[in-house]
Amino acid sequence: MANLKDIRDRIKSVKSIQKVTKAMKMVAAAKMRKAQERMEQARPYSNSLSDIIQNILPDVDRDMLPLLDMREIKRKAYVIVCADRGLAGAFNTNLLKIAQREIDEFGKDNVDLFCVGKKARDHFTYRNYNVIESHVDFWAEMEFENAMMIGRSIIDHFISGSVDEIHVVYNYFVNIGQQEVRSETLLPLSYDTNEATGSDRLYEPSKEELVNTLIPRHLNVQMWKYLLESYASEQAARMLSMENATSNAQDMIKDLTLQFNKARQAAITTEMLEIVGGAEALG
Amino acid sequence: MSSYNVEIVTPIREIKLGDVSYLRCPGLDGSFGVMRNHREGIFALSVGEVKVTQNGKDEYFATSGGFAEILNDSVKLLVESLERSNEIDADRANKSFERAQERRIKQDSELNETRIEASLVRALNRLRISKR
Repeated sequence: MANLKDIRDRIKSVKSIQKVTKAMKMVAAAKMRKAQERMEQARPYSNSLSDIIQNILPDVDRDMLPLLDMREIKRKAYVIVCADRGLAGAFNTNLLKIAQREIDEFGKDNVDLFCVGKKARDHFTYRNYNVIESHVDFWAEMEFENAMMIGRSIIDHFISGSVDEIHVVYNYFVNIGQQEVRSETLLPLSYDTNEATGSDRLYEPSKEELVNTLIPRHLNVQMWKYLLESYASEQAARMLSMENATSNAQDMIKDLTLQFNKARQAAITTEMLEIVGGAEALG
Repeated sequence: MSSYNVEIVTPIREIKLGDVSYLRCPGLDGSFGVMRNHREGIFALSVGEVKVTQNGKDEYFATSGGFAEILNDSVKLLVESLERSNEIDADRANKSFERAQERRIKQDSELNETRIEASLVRALNRLRISKR
């Protein structure tokens, strides 16, 4: 039987851990709400932008635009969006596992990596993957600028011809209880090849130039969406896992308290038996 | 009478303005004005100032570029950033202006010249409009 002091110490330490997990849960919940709000706010912009693009693209010549260039795929780039920190359940591990499998299938020597989040950077640099850029430590004060920066370097990488296709792996926010790892192709851009609309709208400057400036912006917004989705997912995952941790701690405290009481009772009983035994011996 | 609605959409917010009689946007080849019944079209915007006349009152905004979609009876501005003249943090604009200037002098090789130039223009634009 464990001695009383040991059990008391364990109860104390579990209680203080529980305090931490409870606080983390609360913080994650607040951050998630904020991220969700920003996702809502970003929606009208990205929708309007896609509308415009879908309207113009059928009217332009695909060959004119380097960002629509379909090449034979010899080299790919992957953008891995995950978190800076752990303690979020399977959030990072799941994503990294899926990303790594996909990359290995294509051949890791032919893949360039853009890592977003410390966990992704550490995972892939440690395993000697070809990480060419990483963006870390910005989540707390994430701004649209961050998305623009990442977007710009991806676009440059594609246009320079270093890679022929760009994928993004990120956590999609389904709802609070569910996040889904998704892998999407970002470039070359795909679109419906419906017929030209033939409207007499005015385009200034030319359609081609417009599309050339529209698409990078569209990609920035896409990137922004990925960041927001991932951030919201991360916070949701952390909230849930901390919730579980808190209730596990509660169970542990219950068990330990029971053990403590049993041990205490046993100690009292033995002591009493000793006294009774002693009294009888004196008898 | 001759007013229309303007909707300004950025990645982080949405502003709806009703009863606009005149709108001036920074087009790539210089500013252009929009009144009711303008020809429909899509125009690229550069860094600059957006002026909105609403019920006879003028308002100024700083933008870092985007697009204007002009429809028969409404205008939609899709811009990457937008700040009302009285919302601009002049200190912050000043700092980014100084930072950009420093970089230009130092010829920071990490950042290419067009980027530095662009941030300089943006900072100047915000500074100017904050004094409106």
